[in-house]
Amino acid sequence: MKVYNVIGKSVRRLDAMEKATGTGTFTTDLYLPGMLYGKVLRSPYPHARITSIDTSEAEKLPGVQAVATYKNTPRVKFNTSATMTTTVPNMEPVLDQYIFDNVVRYVGDEVAAVAATSEKIAEAALKLIKVEYELLPAVYDPLEAMKAESPVIHDECHEGKNIPGDIVKIPFGDIEKGFTACDAIIEETFKVPIVKQVQMETQAAVAQVNPNGKITVWSSTQTPHPSRMILAHVFSVPFSKVRVLGGPYVGGGFGVRIGLSAKAEPIAVALAMKAKKPVKVIYNRKEDFIASDVRHGGYVTVKLGAKKDGTFHAMDLKGILNAGAYCSFSCETPGVLGAMGLSVYRVPNQYYYGHSVYTNTTPAGAMRGFGNPQAMYAIESTVDMMAEKLGIDPIQLRLKNIMQAGDPWCLPYPCNSSGLAECIEKGAASIGWERRGKLNRPGTKILRGIGLGVGSHVSNAWPFCVDYDNAYVTVQQDGSVLLASGVPDIGTGTSTSLPQLAAEVLGVSLEQVSLTFGDTETTPFDIGSHASRTLYAAGTAVVAAANDARKQILEYAAEYLEVAPENLELKDSIIYVTGQDESNTKQVSLKELTYYAHLHNKQFIGVGRIVPENAPPWEAHFAEVEVNTDTGQVKVVKLTAAHDVGKAIHPAIVEGQIEGGALQGIGYALSEEIKYNEKGKQLHDSIHKYMLPTAEDVPEIEAIIVEANERSGPFGAKGVGETSLVPTAGAIANAVYNATGIRFKEIPITEEKMYRALRKKA
Amino acid sequence: MLKDYLLPETTAKAVSLLDNCKGQARIISGGTDLLLDLPDGKVATEYLIDISRIAELKEISLEDGVINIGAAVTHNQVAKSDLIREKAPALANAAGSVGSCQIRNSGTVVGNVVNAQPAADTAVALVALGASAEIVSSGGKTSIPVEKMYAGVGKSIVDSTAQLVTCVKLPAALAHQGSAFVRLEQRKALALPMLNVAVMVSLEEDKFEWVRICMAPVGPGPLRATAGEDVLRGAKISPELINKAARAAANQANPRSSALRGSKEYRLGVLPGLIAKALEAAVTRVMEKTNNIGEEV
Amino acid sequence: MSTKTLRFNLNGEVKEVAVSPSDMLLDVLRDKLNLTGTKKGCGKGECGACTVIMNGEAVNSCLVPAMKAMDAEIETIEGIGSPERLHPLQEAFMDLGAIQCGFCTPGMIMSSKALLDKNPNPGKQEVREAISGNICRCTGYVKIEEAILAAANKNKR
Repeated sequence: MKVYNVIGKSVRRLDAMEKATGTGTFTTDLYLPGMLYGKVLRSPYPHARITSIDTSEAEKLPGVQAVATYKNTPRVKFNTSATMTTTVPNMEPVLDQYIFDNVVRYVGDEVAAVAATSEKIAEAALKLIKVEYELLPAVYDPLEAMKAESPVIHDECHEGKNIPGDIVKIPFGDIEKGFTACDAIIEETFKVPIVKQVQMETQAAVAQVNPNGKITVWSSTQTPHPSRMILAHVFSVPFSKVRVLGGPYVGGGFGVRIGLSAKAEPIAVALAMKAKKPVKVIYNRKEDFIASDVRHGGYVTVKLGAKKDGTFHAMDLKGILNAGAYCSFSCETPGVLGAMGLSVYRVPNQYYYGHSVYTNTTPAGAMRGFGNPQAMYAIESTVDMMAEKLGIDPIQLRLKNIMQAGDPWCLPYPCNSSGLAECIEKGAASIGWERRGKLNRPGTKILRGIGLGVGSHVSNAWPFCVDYDNAYVTVQQDGSVLLASGVPDIGTGTSTSLPQLAAEVLGVSLEQVSLTFGDTETTPFDIGSHASRTLYAAGTAVVAAANDARKQILEYAAEYLEVAPENLELKDSIIYVTGQDESNTKQVSLKELTYYAHLHNKQFIGVGRIVPENAPPWEAHFAEVEVNTDTGQVKVVKLTAAHDVGKAIHPAIVEGQIEGGALQGIGYALSEEIKYNEKGKQLHDSIHKYMLPTAEDVPEIEAIIVEANERSGPFGAKGVGETSLVPTAGAIANAVYNATGIRFKEIPITEEKMYRALRKKA
Repeated sequence: MLKDYLLPETTAKAVSLLDNCKGQARIISGGTDLLLDLPDGKVATEYLIDISRIAELKEISLEDGVINIGAAVTHNQVAKSDLIREKAPALANAAGSVGSCQIRNSGTVVGNVVNAQPAADTAVALVALGASAEIVSSGGKTSIPVEKMYAGVGKSIVDSTAQLVTCVKLPAALAHQGSAFVRLEQRKALALPMLNVAVMVSLEEDKFEWVRICMAPVGPGPLRATAGEDVLRGAKISPELINKAARAAANQANPRSSALRGSKEYRLGVLPGLIAKALEAAVTRVMEKTNNIGEEV
Repeated sequence: MSTKTLRFNLNGEVKEVAVSPSDMLLDVLRDKLNLTGTKKGCGKGECGACTVIMNGEAVNSCLVPAMKAMDAEIETIEGIGSPERLHPLQEAFMDLGAIQCGFCTPGMIMSSKALLDKNPNPGKQEVREAISGNICRCTGYVKIEEAILAAANKNKR
């Protein structure tokens, strides 16, 4: 087992001091001289045409300096998500949004915005805007929205009514023939809810437009470079005239702002252009709920066929998802649902069919897992049903069928590594799998059960999306290092782990490395923070840049020391001859060498430009649950989350990702959901109403890290960020079945649903 | 927009401010509900009269067997008070389940009652404990049972622009009396109850002398389940009796279906079990006290 | 609109600020005193990101009228420690990986400090109750709980 200097260690995070002392700034903390405050007027109706809009009274209110509507903002179509910059050629991104339109398509849709000298004045001005609406019929369910009698929400749907983009079809083998050769077939449809990221910092942007037209936007985006491209497109300015950067810190994301932070940036820019002053737009929490991307709810159908010895032989998967009112990531999410669903098990005959459907609800976009949690709840439930049908232990059935390194699959890159079997083994030991089936005495009011769920994911979006990274390393004149990467730190610790990689390669201490990140002005293009990609993909670029700089340093040192470069090592900021000790004079400190180089007119600049490969992380979650048969309450007693992450560059960061995601997964399984009333209004539009877990609701969570080294990742690492809520709902639903004998085909498994099911069963 | 935020130091001053402002001022204590209603437009006022500085309103005291909780006493003060935990445990539990730690440090028990939400946790407990409130205005002082303070859903009989509740009073539990509070909730903090139940029992050897059962939200305000109380009065304590009483009590409940917190059927289905649980807990508390006393002797 | 002078003790120093009667303490801290360490996550007392300590108790400053803080003792994240002399809670949060995006961190630390100031030796349940009103979406609360208990243990020695 190789020992490293910096990586593999849970060093104190480089952003921790600022965050612990409250001095680190987020977009919401920024203040610029002369700054105005922007507020947004939103549609109270789920579907309507704006027949008239009169802003004259609002404009007259003292303190108001700009008012924006569809009449005075660019009529340029875009997609708030990064989709419009990452859709691969031969496919077209769906662009179906304007800053403001004259049709509103969900309760909360943007109608107008005001910039004023205070938030209170801006809010008062909104009330003075007179809007007349012609109400249109509305539809809220994706299956309903495809029917002939439902209203058309967007015109350009070539695949079918209200279907954005292309239907995803993934064929593999011969599905029809496959099912005929199966001894057991199970087919079920599962319903998944709409849930929300509820990151702690709401959508935020501060825009400043210089007299020469240069636009600077501080924002909470997870992807500054793509966001810059979108804004430049919307406002028809050269990309180089737009700068997007973070606060520098971003208060969480979980997918809600891959691309723009809902409409915060373009609205701030539009107002700043009109007012000729900086404008800050911060969504309040209710706006964040109703008007920023949610997770796709919908219907997932699994048809699984197996031989009687348990070998999976055919799987047909279908996903119909609720896109909400605008496309965002609604073309990609069904694709990931299918691709991930089909790549966990080694099944020779598979088929996936999936797409989203527009409805008059909050747009659905990216949320941690991106279709995979929806898929694996359905698939893992089905696999357990098959285990019962065949009389095979659920762990054994999985071990028999899970993908192994080298197995063929439907994905366009190889499966090089899998530690899933080890994850299952360790997870089973941790939960006490042998107790399963022996937990309940007859007549007990509290039923206990144990279940598992497994899954995979990706380590970035290549080749499904445009995905590439650049980084550069400039070695300073004293041997310290400045690293530049376009990835923001949304909480996942990239502002520490990327410097760790650079420090390891360059043989310097972590304290010697400074990082400029997430600023389009000071960093080369990087896609940004999404798809569990930052460590794996941006990290690969950082390693490449550091290696490039290291090569230059050693070549220069070779001349300086008159030694062949291949005989030189760089460690602890000293270049020395391999195998020689400290007393040998054939060595030079990096500090001395870089200063010498400076005096001789040279700096070492390493550049990394990479297109990442891709690699599957693997995870197995085990849940022990308690069901109160009087009240129907389901409680998780323990959740064990075993994850193959390839290599943990910073173990505490990896554990933190696992623990945080696992709790989101528990919420997904048991309590979180957003429902709408018959007027299209969100019922769960606040933290008070939306049942995410508090500190008092946390069960015992055990994170287990497995390292099945992935040769394509930096030091063997793979993605982890999204994996931690992929199998959780499946594990919990399976544990609930083990406890009660009741199979839930819909989550969340709320107390009322359980209560009704228990009564029905009795 | 508020014209002023006032911080009187005596009750008399607070009353006179109310009078002077002629209905344009409103009493505030913790403000955790009121400060949400103001920006929402549910309530409008020009002045706020903050009573949390008034010394005599900040006390919890026991005098002649009566517990007195001042209007500025917070939920956490009640939840952590040794006196309340010993002599009115249902109220300590109820106060301890409101909102979150921060809300409990600002919000007051009296404020919770005056805000008049159907399932206000402390109001439910106070009704079961036989509490009454002292209401003061320039017209004088009156005492009203908390049970009678609800004028409708979200409406208190107290007019906070003209009157001020100075305290709630409740009899301290005697040796043969006990109380309990049970709450059904979707998560353990920051959640309104799906149901809450408070009971107080007075035992005579192996019988119920009398019982008060209060349940919510099953009507406009906390509801006394008199049918259940009747079943228990004078009867011998047993699990069967408790279940019978719980069912009778639940029959009086009329919860509505909430899109957020449970349908009518669900709430009616689980309510008897909660009432039974509360009754058993209250009885157990008395038994523990009696046993302890027995052991000391 | 009338202005009042709010006088209070902030992190050990007496401060005077002009406020409007409708102002909340959170806005005074962030916008008038430029102390942006205390965060606004919801403005309705539902998330705890705005938690400060007022007269020894953790409260949601978004629901504290500014005038209510008259002559009160207010502690914010800016006052409990500095890089040269960190509060044990700050150290524990930093060392044990209890900080991810950092937005909940100041409020979380203030709730924890209010607990440890009163109860230097809390159990797990008491820790959970103390942070029951602080929402964190990143960490699952696991390392936060560990950090608070570690800081408490450190004080014991």
